[in-house]
Amino acid sequence: MMGRTIFIDPGRCIGCQACVSACRECDSHRGKSMIHLDYTDEGQSVASLPTVCMHCEDPVAPCAEVCPADAILVTADGVVQQADTTRCIGCANCVNACPFGVPKIDLGAKLQMKCNLCYDRTAYGLAPMCATVCPTGALFYGTVEELQAERPGVQVADTFVFGSTEVRTGVAMVVPADKVQWPVPGGLPVVEINGKDVRR
Amino acid sequence: MVGAAVSGLLILAIVLGSRLLRNFDSALLPYAVAGVFLAFGVAYRYTVWISAPGAARLFKQGWRSLFSAENFRQAPTALPKMIATYLGFQKFLGARSHARWAAHQLIFWGCVLAALITFPLTWGWFTFTSGSGSGPGYEMRIWGFKILGFDSLSFIGWVMFHGLDLAAVLVIPGASYFLWRRMKDRGASTGQRFGYDLIPLIALIVISVTGLLLTFSSIFLHGGGYEFLAVLHMVAVVFTLIYIPFGKFFHIVQRPAAVGMQLFKYTARQDDEVFACRRCGQPIDTEPYVENLRGTMRDLRLDFDEWAEYCPRCKRVLRGSAYLTHVKKGFK
Ligand code: SF4
Ligand code: SF4
Repeated sequence: MMGRTIFIDPGRCIGCQACVSACRECDSHRGKSMIHLDYTDEGQSVASLPTVCMHCEDPVAPCAEVCPADAILVTADGVVQQADTTRCIGCANCVNACPFGVPKIDLGAKLQMKCNLCYDRTAYGLAPMCATVCPTGALFYGTVEELQAERPGVQVADTFVFGSTEVRTGVAMVVPADKVQWPVPGGLPVVEINGKDVRR
Repeated sequence: MVGAAVSGLLILAIVLGSRLLRNFDSALLPYAVAGVFLAFGVAYRYTVWISAPGAARLFKQGWRSLFSAENFRQAPTALPKMIATYLGFQKFLGARSHARWAAHQLIFWGCVLAALITFPLTWGWFTFTSGSGSGPGYEMRIWGFKILGFDSLSFIGWVMFHGLDLAAVLVIPGASYFLWRRMKDRGASTGQRFGYDLIPLIALIVISVTGLLLTFSSIFLHGGGYEFLAVLHMVAVVFTLIYIPFGKFFHIVQRPAAVGMQLFKYTARQDDEVFACRRCGQPIDTEPYVENLRGTMRDLRLDFDEWAEYCPRCKRVLRGSAYLTHVKKGFK
């Protein structure tokens, strides 16, 4: 079962960009934010979704699996590290294979960059920068028990479906309690939202 | 298998190149043996590496683009240019930081120089003979053939005999910079492993410093401490050579893969084969590249490979939409 990790609750996200700014301050990617904050239903609602690396466990880190240079390593505690600078050849395989759309690439520097769960902080028991500053708790760092103690009645899901594949992740999403047995849809096949086709 | 074949070939080359060991300097035997181990290790690791799905496909595509007719017709200069800017001058490192680029160039050229001297010398391919017994006129021979004659007291002569010292002088500041950076830069030290990240730098510095001390000892100390230093130097070098295929230094062998990758993308770009995201139309990558990645994903049984046809942002937005629709019912 999950240890300390990030729990994402998009329902609480107010799109304030605090996590993005905090991520930018983090030492492991100084000056660059690894958090994606997307306004998923722009013009229709204020819904926003913060995305950090989900630290896929099974299939184990697709980004690392497709990497031709063995540049992405997974630590013993399940944290998928960003690319090793000496190995990464900047091919962008990881960028396009990640089902969650997480890694970024700097084509000039031939270097991939992604959220590594603030490894410089979490390895020492500190919460990642994003979770520390999030004003609404949309990004929560701790154990499931801690989360549930604070928010009675919530459940978490750590499995996503993409087409016919299920991806189990180290980072989980908060779901209403009655939906917990249901893996979270990953968005593939492309879905409709509120009865409207979102492909276009 | 491949490893054994490659080391066999190298031994053969050593024997022939040193004119049936006549030019082989037995004092350098440990170095030569380490060289053979190195060849074995690199060949072995290379085969393992290149058989993983991601690398295997890229490897094939890289060579295919190199030998394709398009490449010869449209971009005959692309490959040499990429090799020079990418492998030689490592332009991409400049985009990471200028200091890192400069430090890496120092290490790189220092090591290239050192390798060019050391390997042929320890394999008995190079010999320096003096026509008149004790100099100053020297001849440099490769595989027994005279290449050039020089005066050991001239500038060229000095450079010839101090090539390794020059290499050390290049490597020391470069490696020291990286060591210093690893100590103080939190970005660099995140997830850093002693054996992987620090040992190689320390090894480079030990080799260079002991190498310089050898010269120092022979010039200023009349050889004082020479033997001890020589052993230390040799141990460091042998250890490093054997370590190359298994640690951080393997990137030296892997880097050229990047040229293949770029050539592959470059050739497709020349033909305007760019793949646009299915949802927003932003270019994702070249078409053959996306196809190649999908193949890799299928090889790995990641059967959401059609997802590679959407850009990262659209993947996130679609997932967000799916979550809203099915999990949170659109915040109603
Ligand atoms: S979410 Fe993406 S980047 Fe993170 S481990 Fe999975 S595949 Fe890799
Ligand atoms: S961009 Fe770097 S980390 Fe990503 S797949 Fe390519 S080599 Fe690996």
